[in-house]
Amino acid sequence: MTTPIDSSRRDFLRHTGSTALTGLAAPWLLNLAAMGEAAAFSASDYKALVCVFLVGGNDYANTVVTFDDASYAKYNAIRSAGTGSGNSGMVLSRASLAATELRPAVALPDGRKYALNPNMTGLAGLFNAGKAAVQLNVGPLVVPLTREQYNSTNRVKYPLPPKLFSHNDQQSVWQSSSPEGATTGWGGKIGDMAMANNGDGLFSCISVTGNQVFLTGDAALQYQCSASAGAIAVKSASDTFFYQPEMRAAFVAMLQQNRPHVLENEYNAIMRRGMAAQAKVSAGLSGVSLKTAFATGNDLADQLKMVAQLIGARGALGARRQVFMVSLGGFDLHDYLDTKHGPLLKKVDEAMTAFYQATVELGVANQVTTFTASDFGRTLTSNGDGSDHGWGSHHLMMGGAVKGAAFYGKAPPVSVSDTTAAQDQWHVGQGRLLPSTSVDQYAATLARWFGVTDAELPSVLPDLKNFGSVDYPVNLGFLA
Amino acid sequence: MHNDSPTHDDTATMSSANPLPVAPVQDEVQDKLPFAALSAAAATALFLEACGGGNSGSSSDASGSAPTTSQQTAAQSLSADYAAARFLQHAQFSSSQSDIDAVKAKGRAAWLDEQMAAAPGQKGWDWLAERGYAVIDANQFYQMDYQANYMAWQQILSQSDGVRRRCALALSEFFVVSISGVSTLQWAQFAVASYWDLLTENAFGNFRTLLERITLNVAMGEFLNTLGNQKEDAATGRLPDENYAREVMQLFTIGLVQLNLDGTPTLGAAGATIETYNQSDVSNLARVFTGYQADESDGTTTSAVAPTYRLKQVGYTRRPMVLNASRHSMLEATFLGVTVPAGTEGRAALKIALDALFNHPNVGPFFGRQMIQRLVCSHPSPAYVARVAAVFNDNGKGVRGDLGAVFRAVLLDDEANSTAGLTSTTFGKLREPMVRVAQWARTFKANSLKGTWKVAKFDYSAVDALAQSPLQAPTVFNFFRPGYIPPGTVMAASKSTAPEFQLVNESTTASWVNFMQNIVWSGIWVRAPELITSPSAATPTDGPDIVPDYSAEFALVGNPEALVARLNLLLCAGQLSSATVSMIVAALGTDKTTITSSDSSKRSYVAKAIMFVMCCAEYLVQK
Repeated sequence: MTTPIDSSRRDFLRHTGSTALTGLAAPWLLNLAAMGEAAAFSASDYKALVCVFLVGGNDYANTVVTFDDASYAKYNAIRSAGTGSGNSGMVLSRASLAATELRPAVALPDGRKYALNPNMTGLAGLFNAGKAAVQLNVGPLVVPLTREQYNSTNRVKYPLPPKLFSHNDQQSVWQSSSPEGATTGWGGKIGDMAMANNGDGLFSCISVTGNQVFLTGDAALQYQCSASAGAIAVKSASDTFFYQPEMRAAFVAMLQQNRPHVLENEYNAIMRRGMAAQAKVSAGLSGVSLKTAFATGNDLADQLKMVAQLIGARGALGARRQVFMVSLGGFDLHDYLDTKHGPLLKKVDEAMTAFYQATVELGVANQVTTFTASDFGRTLTSNGDGSDHGWGSHHLMMGGAVKGAAFYGKAPPVSVSDTTAAQDQWHVGQGRLLPSTSVDQYAATLARWFGVTDAELPSVLPDLKNFGSVDYPVNLGFLA
Repeated sequence: MHNDSPTHDDTATMSSANPLPVAPVQDEVQDKLPFAALSAAAATALFLEACGGGNSGSSSDASGSAPTTSQQTAAQSLSADYAAARFLQHAQFSSSQSDIDAVKAKGRAAWLDEQMAAAPGQKGWDWLAERGYAVIDANQFYQMDYQANYMAWQQILSQSDGVRRRCALALSEFFVVSISGVSTLQWAQFAVASYWDLLTENAFGNFRTLLERITLNVAMGEFLNTLGNQKEDAATGRLPDENYAREVMQLFTIGLVQLNLDGTPTLGAAGATIETYNQSDVSNLARVFTGYQADESDGTTTSAVAPTYRLKQVGYTRRPMVLNASRHSMLEATFLGVTVPAGTEGRAALKIALDALFNHPNVGPFFGRQMIQRLVCSHPSPAYVARVAAVFNDNGKGVRGDLGAVFRAVLLDDEANSTAGLTSTTFGKLREPMVRVAQWARTFKANSLKGTWKVAKFDYSAVDALAQSPLQAPTVFNFFRPGYIPPGTVMAASKSTAPEFQLVNESTTASWVNFMQNIVWSGIWVRAPELITSPSAATPTDGPDIVPDYSAEFALVGNPEALVARLNLLLCAGQLSSATVSMIVAALGTDKTTITSSDSSKRSYVAKAIMFVMCCAEYLVQK
């Protein structure tokens, strides 16, 4: 069903400029096809990717917790060291983890086991029911790296991702393979490929959480929808504030005017886009009534509820392929890991579990894949009551198409020492994990399920060509 | 097919500030100055007359006729007013006619020097104490942080000494502390106030002094974990918290890559950028920031409500953190090419570290470029950055880090004041939402009727939300990044930074208009404004409390030319094009309210005019 993208089409898109293509209806792009430019993959069904970004660098060690006796003992020894008395929550007791033990269909090698944080009962249940999976030790990599290669000074042969350990840059690298200042992300590039399937290209990439480079492509733009208010209308465009209709009309025209000044013009373009889309999105949302309950007082739940409603409105929006982004902040727990991490993960668990239920209710459980992401993992060592910036982390994938009850990637040894022993080859000091799977591989697996072809993947993920060996497969296999 | 490319539907607003040609300009039929200035000048003359001052204007028919001498004088005066207002809107939050006259009379530099030398207005800490928040009673203010919002808003909406406060706000977006990030402190609102006060007090002092004071401030200590940070414990493997060590380098002094004086990255082998520090620097520097705790030298007391607990006295919040030597790391620490020898006492180690950061050649361009971005334009020329950075390096009297000199350099630079910026299609910056609100409040002399200034985050409803609140950045990375380039825009194609666009999307463009609609008619609504507390349920006194004074505007109701001319000057320094001015005047002309109409009708008329201006892209993008 999919056709390889014609590179001249992509060049055409770039030369025309992204603003010219904002929100274009499909017929124009089909004319493109008639002109001899091959459209990207065509789809008659619906699929959505949902990125749940945990902002601040989620602590992997207390999220997907090593659980078999031997490795748990090491985790306990390392993490309880130097933890103040009364900070017992920095180390999760083995007893508290029993209820969230992950039971994969096929056991991990070497007797390794994991449990989710005790607050994540919903996701543990989904894992064990085959609807969620764990990707172990994933993080940005330009090329596969051993610890020795990381330590070497040959940065030409063994390049590192740019600006490791820096929040804003790693958020950007996860989303776009480039540090802060990047202007396109892989979610947006996937959107580029998919836009032609949508009645209104504007609804291909939707953020419910502020501006994110993840969702902008060469043509696809991020459309912002408010978690609580949906598509926000300019009230005075239709109420009686500007009592005289001519005054109101003049005001509305002014808000949307083309301007010679670049900053003014881009501001008005965003305003114009919002005003043009607002009625359609609001009407679409009002036609959706979800019964699935979402927790209140949970910002992530609010956002995922809106995503569920937008998916419910996909018919009205003419959408067949969509990429969404939501986020939850507060994960930068240099302090208070013991008291603040559990409640945050509870929010993640409640929100994601409810979202899965909503996709079941909407009849699209097998067509929506949700995945977590974060700036980085953290140190395994404690600084007293928290952990510091790290690199590789464990992440979760959820949805009916996910081949669940399984771990993907390699379970890292539990160690913080600086020796040449095997146990120390998968961290770069203090238990900061050296990723054994790259974000590019993770993204490629998600993109391929979404419909991106092998030929198109390199344009979405430029460093993907550096992977593909047996230990770094381009398709991680967690999606059917 | 919808073509979104910009069209040239009108021309530049100002072609020159001064001097204007003396010869008549009968053949000038386009919307360029001096013709626009003449029309506006005529209108200005009328409104000055109406307000009882200014020259006598010529006839009101300024279109198509040869300008008279008085019209030319008025036009020159207006251009000078615009230039002064433009400068004022860079340097502080608003530009009243008296401010404009003072700048014209004294010149920008002299006026600025006077402002910087003036005695600072009231401290935020003192303001909170005066309101009654330092008492220990059943209100349990000592457990709260949100009154810091009231303090911060009062400071930017109303507190005297606008230049100092404007610069302090810019500093607060560089040396970021966020109210929500320190809520676990006792007397959190006072801790934040003491942090804000450091910024205002030191805004024109020295960077090195400010750097040390913020490092030792208890709110910053809580925000980035220096407070309570302990040295390593070899027996257990515990290591110092690295948060402040990393962020003081990445965000507060040197950034991530080596810079040239002009702010561009220095390139090394194969054209790659050069890192300023690595993980080892962070881990080593972290040792310096260990052993610090709150100064409880004025003792503790007991909280007011059972179950009680030990409560610090409020004064601790404005004293620097103290060093507990037994918790300070005595290991050698090597970072950025300097070494703190093993066994160095804490304060000496701090000096070595802060000196190393301060003296790094990156600081001038790294800090300077961001101050230009906060006050003048989003994507300054490298030459502008270099001029400001050079002043940071040496203020002309051999002193490094003179903040007053740096702000002077930013505000007085030719790039900020030259008319080239007014005809450029790229120069300027999107005004920050909270700064727009501060401008509205100061321009229209908004006052809290009950004196409580209970203004908070405006985020209760996304539909009417303001995308920003002072000292409430979501993280230490501020509301937006200095390197933000809006994806999918012309700025992306030209790689031009436009930080404030990080807040701009389909939700916030709409909610700004809704927010203004909510406040412009009667002011900012407050629950129980006569109380310093914040009841959760509705009360009979709920209503507008921070109310504007539109009396000068009321006098111009029914005279849209004069009203729009006034708003164009006071709000955006004349940067509305003639076409836009004409459009707004015509739109207001459909409203038949006059100065003899009811107050309520006049208020609506003025509110609508203000809405037009403050929602217009030509206002929103400040040049």
